[in-house]
Amino acid sequence: MINLKELSWSLVTIWASLIAVGLVAIYSATQGPVAEFLPSYIQFNFYKQLISFGIAILLLIGLQFINPRTFQEGSYIFYGLGILLMILTLLIGKEVNGARSWLVLGPFNLQVSELMKIATILAVANYLTSGRNISAENLKSAIIAVSLIVLPAVLIILQNDMGTAIIFFALIPVVLFWSGLPYGISLFIISPAIIGYLTIISWYWGLIAAIIITLAIFMLQRRTWLTFTSFVTGVLLVIGIQVALNQVLQPHQRARIEAFTNPSFDPQGAGWNVIQAKTAIGSGGIYGKGFLEGTQTQLRFLPEQWTDFIFCVIGEEFGFVGAGFTVLLLLALTLRLLRMAAVHKHPFARLVIVGVLTVFFTHFFINVGSATGLLPVIGIPLPFISYGGSALITNTLMLGICLNLDFYKRQFSIYR
Amino acid sequence: MHSRNKIRTQTSLRVIQVCIIVLGLIILGRLFQLQILNYDTYNPLSRENSLRQEVVNPARGLIYDRNGNLIVDNQPIYTITVTPASYDPKNTPILAELMDVPVEEVKKRVQEARDYSYYRSSRIFTEVDFETFSIIQESIWQLPGVGHQIESKRDYPVDSLKASHILGYLREVSKEEYLRTQSYHLGDRTGKSGLEMAYEEHLRGTIGTNYIKVNAMGQNMGSYQDGAIDESPKKGSDLYTTIDTELQLLAEDLMQGKEGAVVAINPDNGAVLSMVSAPEYNIRKLSGRLDRTYWDSINADTTNPLYNRAISGKQPPGSTFKPLMALMGLELGIITPQTEIDNPGYYSRGRRYNDLADPGKYDVGKALQESSNTFFFWLMDKIATQQGLDKWHELATSFGLGQLNNIDIPNEVTGTIPDSTFFNRVLGEGKWGIGDQLSLGVGQGFVAVSPLQMALVAAQIGNSGYKVQPHFVSTIRQNDGTTMLTNPEKEKIDWVDPQDIAVVKDGMRRVVTDGSGRYYANLDSVKVAGKTGTAQNPHGQDHGWFISFAPVDDPKIALAVLVENGGYGSISAAPIASLLIEQYLTGEIDRSYVYNYVKTFEPRKQITDEDEEENLDDQSQGT
Repeated sequence: MINLKELSWSLVTIWASLIAVGLVAIYSATQGPVAEFLPSYIQFNFYKQLISFGIAILLLIGLQFINPRTFQEGSYIFYGLGILLMILTLLIGKEVNGARSWLVLGPFNLQVSELMKIATILAVANYLTSGRNISAENLKSAIIAVSLIVLPAVLIILQNDMGTAIIFFALIPVVLFWSGLPYGISLFIISPAIIGYLTIISWYWGLIAAIIITLAIFMLQRRTWLTFTSFVTGVLLVIGIQVALNQVLQPHQRARIEAFTNPSFDPQGAGWNVIQAKTAIGSGGIYGKGFLEGTQTQLRFLPEQWTDFIFCVIGEEFGFVGAGFTVLLLLALTLRLLRMAAVHKHPFARLVIVGVLTVFFTHFFINVGSATGLLPVIGIPLPFISYGGSALITNTLMLGICLNLDFYKRQFSIYR
Repeated sequence: MHSRNKIRTQTSLRVIQVCIIVLGLIILGRLFQLQILNYDTYNPLSRENSLRQEVVNPARGLIYDRNGNLIVDNQPIYTITVTPASYDPKNTPILAELMDVPVEEVKKRVQEARDYSYYRSSRIFTEVDFETFSIIQESIWQLPGVGHQIESKRDYPVDSLKASHILGYLREVSKEEYLRTQSYHLGDRTGKSGLEMAYEEHLRGTIGTNYIKVNAMGQNMGSYQDGAIDESPKKGSDLYTTIDTELQLLAEDLMQGKEGAVVAINPDNGAVLSMVSAPEYNIRKLSGRLDRTYWDSINADTTNPLYNRAISGKQPPGSTFKPLMALMGLELGIITPQTEIDNPGYYSRGRRYNDLADPGKYDVGKALQESSNTFFFWLMDKIATQQGLDKWHELATSFGLGQLNNIDIPNEVTGTIPDSTFFNRVLGEGKWGIGDQLSLGVGQGFVAVSPLQMALVAAQIGNSGYKVQPHFVSTIRQNDGTTMLTNPEKEKIDWVDPQDIAVVKDGMRRVVTDGSGRYYANLDSVKVAGKTGTAQNPHGQDHGWFISFAPVDDPKIALAVLVENGGYGSISAAPIASLLIEQYLTGEIDRSYVYNYVKTFEPRKQITDEDEEENLDDQSQGT
């Protein structure tokens, strides 16, 4: 009855390739000549990742035997359980690198916020596809959907893990947009991110962006109040950020925010990571310095080079060819998932897949953007590549659920 | 309704697809920019990051005496360096504690290094003792940017040898110097006087560079590409000098406690055998890290030990100028060896010029022997009136007076041999006359010479009129073993006639056998010729001179000795010269009473009333 041809083998291949690239990079970052300067528990990271890979394989296979209805029917339970665990983590969690996001369960350390991503996606998808009257066009349903996302995000902020919280916020516009939120309002929702980013680079770019976005919103949705609100919000945002940067923040705080546009402002402090990361990638050239030959990597110039800055290792040792290949793999992953969502007939499955690909893409864009100095340094891992058992397993879990929903898409309607 | 949803879904799909592709292309474009377009920016950056240039100092060239004995050597000293690019200012207190110096001092030195270069390593503490050096080495892992160098300082193996004015000292290059010349680093030393300065380019050698890999903590990761691009240092060239250590030691010993100078040269080629300027300074105290107290003390010393009296001093030669006068008179045809004049005990020309020599008939030989002022006043009168002052100037200058002789150590002075231009400038045109010129004939008045110049006069009379080039270095042996000879050719002084010079030499011989030199300068073993002199000193007791060469027929050594405030040259300078000749030509000193006499001789610096009167009496006297 199970036809293996129905499984999306292309995605499985991409998944395996990404993990392989990650293992090579982690090996270089922790087992190369650099190992001399690393504590042994970090050197051990490569082997831990190998074990996680093994678990991930079993997980991916195991997931295919689960009834796809379970994900929809259990979504609220998973969500509620997740929230409870998050609160528990806040109370008795273990602090790592300043973030209290680890729950110690016997021999395992569990990062609940990772699992919370998929729980939230399932819950929101379930809610937004649960009835005819529920749609993002409806303000009440939209607010409930947003609340479902904001609640865990706030708990994560309380855990002091800003990077992961940003992933949740990125889900809001995509999920609402997919569920029918009008184009103008969708653009309005994401406009603060665009205007804010450009304002940090330079205030007049921010202003220009605010004007263009206002015009675009007016074109998409000829509503005076929306156009007006958009313009006022944009201008206030530009002014607010300028005031914050120049008046409110201490120079060192400002330096940290602006480090990505002007790392030489504080080369030994906030700019250090950015300079070293860009230097690593830039010095890789076309073909790279070769496996275990990267001076920035092996001489320990990169911070967190097995997690947040792992892309620099790839860029330095394998050059434009290697880094470009990795980027293409990640783009293929998201575009392939998008294609999968497009052909699926069931709205829940579609929304889940879109949510998952949003999480993957946001991780990818912020991580690589940070490493290449396009974005401020926000410490989040590169999916399937960075070291981290929890992340690898939960990412595989998310992908596995998508594969499962796709695998059973022909039978799906009968479960409705 | 359903189809509207379907269209909306299709559009949403498209929008998300476009967003992913656009953002993906931005990332790819950024990679293209960093890795391909800006590769030339980042590649050197990563190399600079992980590569440090380490300066390897060459061994400075050694210095040998004329017998091939080592007199200047090198000794290791330990130096702490800093590379400001990787130095963390937070570590300053730790470094200060390890070095046991105030935090402010470390801050200041690091700032200096930063001003010099952000990426190159600079020395911040030189001559660290081995113990402190070891402590720093143990803590180097927590002090990124801090490194070390093992350098060397000068060492002088002959314990009692001073030779400070010959050898000179090294000092760290000044900020201006390293900014001007790219070849020096902060903290490099360069010769500041003596041979060390004159032969800096030869002695210094070529700096080597090692490229080493370092990590972000500044730890040394071994050599880059197994040293393929390292440049090894080239050792400086060695100097083989003409210094006779035995003679130099004796000269220093004899000049101990006096102010003055000794210059001994080989009349055959101008090789300087010994040069002493007393008082000396201690080059050993200036060889390593600068001893501030000592440096200040020698700078403040009123006897000015840093001043090289042998080549920078300017004193009237007094009667030691008379042999050259005699030679000029003979050459110009004003006198013959037989020309006699009557000396009534004074020379009268507008006024009376007293003579200490007994009245009587004087020919040139007797005039030299007795150092008769009357004879040389008369002779100067004749030269000035018949040939003119400028002719006299020309002949005196050809013996090396009133000009630079290009000896191979710095700070030589020209001295003064007046000519008409000089008098016009100093006294005013038409405002000078024969009275101003007569005193020149007995080496007084405006004549000013250095001991080196007088030694050359002695040498050039001794060698029968050959101009020699004074020098210390005979051979420069380069790193690769090739040698460079610096022995200059001697050149006949064209106006000197050998017959005439024999007369002068005979006169100088008579000074030693029968004249003022007979007490202290006459040796049984060697035929010495010489001339005493006394330089008038308006500020105190007169300075004593003695110029000399021996053996008289084929001189091997020529000397000039100046003892400041020594009074008559015959009792102050002559004994020193004769002891040096005795030592140099016989290898030992027989006359211990002369040695003891010199050692106990005390120049009188302060003038007494009695001296004052005497001085007033004999305004133009020569002895």
